Amino acid sequence: MTRYEKAAAGAVALMAVAAYFIFIFAPEDALQHQAQRIFYLHVSSAITAYGCFAVVLLGGIGYLWKESLVADRLARAAALVGVIFTTVTLVMGMLWAKPIWGTFWTWDARLTSTLVLWIIYAGYLMVRRLAEPGRQAARFAAVVGIFGFIDVPIVHFSVTWWNTQHPGPVVINDALPAGMLVAFLITMACTFVLASVMIAVRYRIETLLDRQAEGLHAPAPVIPAGEVSSAPR
Amino acid sequence: MRPLSVAWAVARKDLTSEWRTRELVPALAQFIVLALVIANFGFQFDSHNATAIAPGVLWMALVFAGLVAFGRAFAAEREQASLEAMLMTPATPAAIFAGKALAAIILLVACEAVLLPALALFFGVQVNASVVLTVLLATVGMAMLGCLFAAMVARVKARELLLPLLTLPLWIPFIVAGGQAVQAEMGGGSSDQAVALLLDFDILFLVLTSLAARYVLED
Amino acid sequence: MSAIVATSITHRFGSEIALDSIDFGVDAGEHLAVLGENGAGKTTLLRILATATRPTYGTLEIFGVDAWAERRRLRARIGFVSHAPGHYPALSAKENLEFFCTLQGADPRRVAATIEMLGLSEVADRPAGRLSRGMQQRLAIARAVLHDPKLLVLDEPDASLDAEGPELLKAVLRGRTAVIATHDQALANKLCHRTLGLRRGRLVGVPSRLRVVH
Repeated sequence: MTRYEKAAAGAVALMAVAAYFIFIFAPEDALQHQAQRIFYLHVSSAITAYGCFAVVLLGGIGYLWKESLVADRLARAAALVGVIFTTVTLVMGMLWAKPIWGTFWTWDARLTSTLVLWIIYAGYLMVRRLAEPGRQAARFAAVVGIFGFIDVPIVHFSVTWWNTQHPGPVVINDALPAGMLVAFLITMACTFVLASVMIAVRYRIETLLDRQAEGLHAPAPVIPAGEVSSAPR
Repeated sequence: MRPLSVAWAVARKDLTSEWRTRELVPALAQFIVLALVIANFGFQFDSHNATAIAPGVLWMALVFAGLVAFGRAFAAEREQASLEAMLMTPATPAAIFAGKALAAIILLVACEAVLLPALALFFGVQVNASVVLTVLLATVGMAMLGCLFAAMVARVKARELLLPLLTLPLWIPFIVAGGQAVQAEMGGGSSDQAVALLLDFDILFLVLTSLAARYVLED
Repeated sequence: MSAIVATSITHRFGSEIALDSIDFGVDAGEHLAVLGENGAGKTTLLRILATATRPTYGTLEIFGVDAWAERRRLRARIGFVSHAPGHYPALSAKENLEFFCTLQGADPRRVAATIEMLGLSEVADRPAGRLSRGMQQRLAIARAVLHDPKLLVLDEPDASLDAEGPELLKAVLRGRTAVIATHDQALANKLCHRTLGLRRGRLVGVPSRLRVVH
């Protein structure tokens, strides 16, 4: 087994451990019953996704400032993993919302900003794919990543502010009894590990892709400089 | 070639071109009036809910008009060649960008001069100085962001799809704050908080887009 | 004194290689012709020399400084005529030049002198979009010399020019360093001191530094 395969196996095993904590260790919620168990992975995914996008931000800044290819590759890898986790967050959120709120969707601050997050980084991935590969793609994506990361808290804030102007129902009770807190923290940690492994694997893939693209270029043989052969005047 | 005079020269050049060819502004004005007419039939409104619907119509029209206007600032092939000609000078990309954004803002404001009175007329809502200020502030911020991403997608495939995809998430704060401001004003309340918010967003994105301009315009 | 020193210039578009390890130098005051078929890489090379494009690999020194790092300042000393016209069709020839004069930070009085030199006096107030191809090309050249650059990079400047073209170009090139891409061997002979051949992105023949000119 390569070290990537070992790491992946380890991450999956950890997720199995987390699953134990989610389904067996954690007590059932009095109000929401089994549906509440979605919350552990849902919130873990959300936080992990934000973490990934923070890496994209740093990678983007690193590329623009230092022209660091490593930073760019890291950003590429983290963006993909981040979008995956954002998708998981959204889907789990909708699965949870239906039994609890009776609707799949509502325009509260968190859901709205998570959706916006998804759109921004889907845009990031598209720009990477559609721009001229190499410098241009890296540069444009870095700009998108930086603006996107700054935008999300602003969107969150705007929608929260809007909701204070238009008070509505929606309250999420965040108080957690001890058993649930333990389960949550463990799930959080395991999800982080999973994300890190995924980023590492993707980083490796990006490195190999970069090398492959460069490998197509075989430098021309160097011709020793000789006397000038001028065209006639 | 100090940055301000460069920016102003670029803006003047774009506006002169538009004035002589008269391509964009009539098209946008037509679009806006059409949007209002469709809104009338699409939303069953009467004198009671007009103040609830009118702000929404205003922002939808602005967003779509904005996408067209800013997209066009950088889109055409000849625009790309001209843009490069401008970059092949000592002038800083940020100044060139500012000039193009300024021209786009002025053109969009010209359309808003049609939109707002038409809105007041067709929907019977009050369009006072605060509403105008709100729309102007939002236009500035949306223009800076719209032009930045328009410059980016101009050199990329699938630009018609990418421009809204990249720009709209960044316009949401403006639409939320602006929408609230207009709603409040039309409903007889105060929009001061919302307008202050718009100003903050404007300043933030003005700084950010100026910093980002050179990475987007140049190689 | 070297005006241009190009070392291992390589440029890729995705996986396609446009220029492959190009090495050459151009001395101050020298006129270099770049000859080659369509698709040989002439345009790419010229764009790199004009600092319009940054090469994927390689180093380029112009007037002794790194071309890309100092590009903004260098552009005041470089005049570039590319394939696309790059002027504004709705503005008159004169207005176009005045605009670029502002961007270049050059003396506004040069506009009149440049119009005169390029034979554009009669059409100076006509919208640039309504000029003939030949006049548009002259306008492009005018824009390139407006700020009295030390280096001229011209991509097929003879295209669309009438019979007076070569003489005009000769006058324009006087006293400047120039790199000209062309198909036309005769023009190269008339205007240039040396040629460089490109085929499919690679140098054909042996490039080397020029001995001191005159």
